[in-house]
Amino acid sequence: MRRPSSIRPADVVLWALGVAIVVGVSVGAFATLSAGLLSGDQWRDLLIFGVSQGSVYALIALGYTLVYGVLFMINFAHGDVFMFGGMTAFFVADYFSDSGFLNGNPILAVPLLLLVGALSSMIVAIVLERIAYRPLRRAPRLVPLITAIGASLFISNSVRGLYGDSIKAYPRIDFFQGTWDIFGIPILKAHATVIVAAVALMAVLYWFVERTRTGRAMRAVSEDKDTAALMGIDVDRIIVTTFAIGGMLAGAAGVLYAIVYNQVIWSMGFLPGIKAFTAAVLGGIGNIFGAMLGGVVLGILESLAPFLLLSGLGVPSPNQLKDVIAFSVLVLVLIFRPYGLFGRKEGT
Amino acid sequence: MPTGSDLRRAISSGLITGGIMIYLVAVGIAPALAERQVITDYLTLGRLMLALPALAVGYLVAGRVGSAIARSASALAAGVVAGGLFSAALLASVALSPGIRSVLVRLSTGVLDFVGFADLGLEATGGALLMFGLAAGLALLGGLIRLAPGAVRRTIVGGAGAMLVVTLLEPFLRPRLLQWGFAEFDDWLYVAHGMTPISATSVFVVGAILTGVWPRARQAAKARVANADPGARSVMRWALLLVALAFLYTVPWLSGSFLTQVIVLVGFYVLLGLGLNIVVGYAGLLDLGYVAFYAVGAYFTALITSPTSALGWGLNFWVALPMVVALSAVVGLMIGAPVLRLRGDYLAIVTLGFGEIARVLLGSEALKPWLGGPTGILSVPFMIGDGKYSLPIIGEQSGAAATYFPLLGFCVLAAFVAHRLKYSRTGRAWNAMREDEDVAQATGISTVNYKLLAFAMGAAVGSVGGAAFATHLQGVVPGGFILLVSITVLAVVVLGGMGSIPGVIVGAFALIGTPELLREFAEYKLLVYGAVLVAVMILRPEGLVPDAARKAELEESRTDDGPLHGPEFDVISGDA
Repeated sequence: MRRPSSIRPADVVLWALGVAIVVGVSVGAFATLSAGLLSGDQWRDLLIFGVSQGSVYALIALGYTLVYGVLFMINFAHGDVFMFGGMTAFFVADYFSDSGFLNGNPILAVPLLLLVGALSSMIVAIVLERIAYRPLRRAPRLVPLITAIGASLFISNSVRGLYGDSIKAYPRIDFFQGTWDIFGIPILKAHATVIVAAVALMAVLYWFVERTRTGRAMRAVSEDKDTAALMGIDVDRIIVTTFAIGGMLAGAAGVLYAIVYNQVIWSMGFLPGIKAFTAAVLGGIGNIFGAMLGGVVLGILESLAPFLLLSGLGVPSPNQLKDVIAFSVLVLVLIFRPYGLFGRKEGT
Repeated sequence: MPTGSDLRRAISSGLITGGIMIYLVAVGIAPALAERQVITDYLTLGRLMLALPALAVGYLVAGRVGSAIARSASALAAGVVAGGLFSAALLASVALSPGIRSVLVRLSTGVLDFVGFADLGLEATGGALLMFGLAAGLALLGGLIRLAPGAVRRTIVGGAGAMLVVTLLEPFLRPRLLQWGFAEFDDWLYVAHGMTPISATSVFVVGAILTGVWPRARQAAKARVANADPGARSVMRWALLLVALAFLYTVPWLSGSFLTQVIVLVGFYVLLGLGLNIVVGYAGLLDLGYVAFYAVGAYFTALITSPTSALGWGLNFWVALPMVVALSAVVGLMIGAPVLRLRGDYLAIVTLGFGEIARVLLGSEALKPWLGGPTGILSVPFMIGDGKYSLPIIGEQSGAAATYFPLLGFCVLAAFVAHRLKYSRTGRAWNAMREDEDVAQATGISTVNYKLLAFAMGAAVGSVGGAAFATHLQGVVPGGFILLVSITVLAVVVLGGMGSIPGVIVGAFALIGTPELLREFAEYKLLVYGAVLVAVMILRPEGLVPDAARKAELEESRTDDGPLHGPEFDVISGDA
């Protein structure tokens, strides 16, 4: 399609950018490590935090990837679907906490919370698909994206209006206080739970997509909608199912996120949403396994990079720039490898 | 009697309407407007807000073919269902009050009293019954309006619209009326807050008459222009232009300081909208980080004009402006060069990433020595003199009015450039590129260069907006350059109609001006922007003031009986 032989200014800019990044990253990392700014234990804790954060991103990223797989659209409102689950579960958690159920029987209460979050997000996702996206199946690509941005604003601000403007503190769950020693490494219980829950959910999803009839239909629809329809697959139903599954995972992720951070607010969907999208692109959008890996990689990068790269370069308050790292990863991946680390090179 | 399917449709529409009414109360929009009087002691905007969905559902449901009785029966049925659902929810909320407030924070006893007509001395049950009756009656009324002949419908809508406008303008109209010596008229039109029943009726009648006369007057005027000889027509055109200029010249004087502030704010968004329109509307590149260019313009202006900035040059604004525009265009090119190879939706996300990076960097400690961190850069000088200057006839201008004139100049210039670009060779190339990139490239259009040009043009216009903004506030703070600015500008462009210059102006007045007229509403601005983006894309993707080419393009894609998804079957493009 393009003339690869001639050198264009855009390529020069790209090359310069690439070289500058490689140099910056190496110098920063070398400076930090050689100065020994952080101890080994601190690096390990950052890494564990990154993995737990990343597994939440991975759960959200799956929703982006699944929807992109069947509709080729970026569901920009997915971050707010995630927020809605965490937010709704808050009220149930609050109720459980008041009645003593939450701390009396956490093994039962926490899965119930996850279920509430998952179901409420699922409902939002289904309604979203029905109202905002289904009428636009044949519209030019940017039209559903603009709708999705509008839907994102609408959902978050509706929650703000309905549930209030303030930060809501999640009730304290005694079960998650303190650490577990796993292979001699102390891991915060909340982090360990998040990782375990996320891995379990992803395993279930993998089984669902690979082994069930509906999962096969989903894969068929994502390969080729029209042929799938000819094979007797109800495409509309599969698309709704996809949104529902993505919503459930996001809702569960919302509860896990709330457990780690101990609070929820109406605006909490935006940043994790964008980061999860980054994770999905990182793993090759449309690729389920890639989204999982992309989430964890991004979580680790975001947690380590500010210290590893920036403090070595002498940048003050590097953690403030955590989001810049995530967005830079987003921009760089889209520029250099838009098909992701594991994706096939196509459709770019 | 309505048929079974009509009835089912009416019931489901009624349920949706009831849900919307409950939502309007629970989210707090209707209660927020409860104090805003339309007709004092009789009607508030809050109640009107709740009445509108019921009216609308009756109007819509009665649109089906069938006998007049069947259609009005359907409307009534929808109203009964909506009112029933709403009343049931009201009774349930009253029963659960005050505990319900711990979840749905808006449902205070005051709000429930407002919904349940406690001001008429009604208990919850009575209020619920009244709401039920009103919803049913309003839906029936809506249905009857639909059944009425077109001319009647138009007059009713015109009259109601006039009442709404007079209500909305009240806070601005009153001081003006008093100042110009129309105190008696003011007393007649408005009591303490809101209109009197008599003045409201009069406004309705005047509005209705004007709407009734309007089509005929317009036709007559059109005929006269068409019949006039070319010389006379050109005179008419110049006269019209002169009147328009005279009007624009006297706007600050006519509208008073507060309304001028609103107009200046709208002006900034018109300018930004015109810039983004080049990128999104003409070239079809969705830029979600447009705020970055606005920020570059504002911060660079502050850096080189403020004597207290890190550079401390203290340049004159007009000396600085060309440098700012040039720098922003270069930044546009630099951001554009690597990302423009990307497909549309990825491009949108990358630009969003740039916007967010810009936002975080502006407020960061790391760049504090240059950009001032969270406190920004202060003491940016005014555009003209020390923010005060005198103009013939309308006297001294200060504050927002001092910004108004240069800003108006920028807007007119930007609109002129955008207009000329649109019908130039460049504009046609953008048009072709937007409609089909591969075909455009095949016909010899260098898509990369044209994309870069669009990006740079958009950046330049955005930076002028930023520069004017910095001087308007005499400083820059990072909090003003957030993603929501990008999205608001996008909403302005989308609502007006992508690619349409008058559309940008209409969109800016509707989305930026109206919320300023309804201060109680400010909290729900973003909610409305979100709803507008969704609704426009689904119901009227060409916008309020459509651009002809764009409209044709969208209609083509809508009526296209092709496969569910274009790209997979798009043999020529070969992607996906």
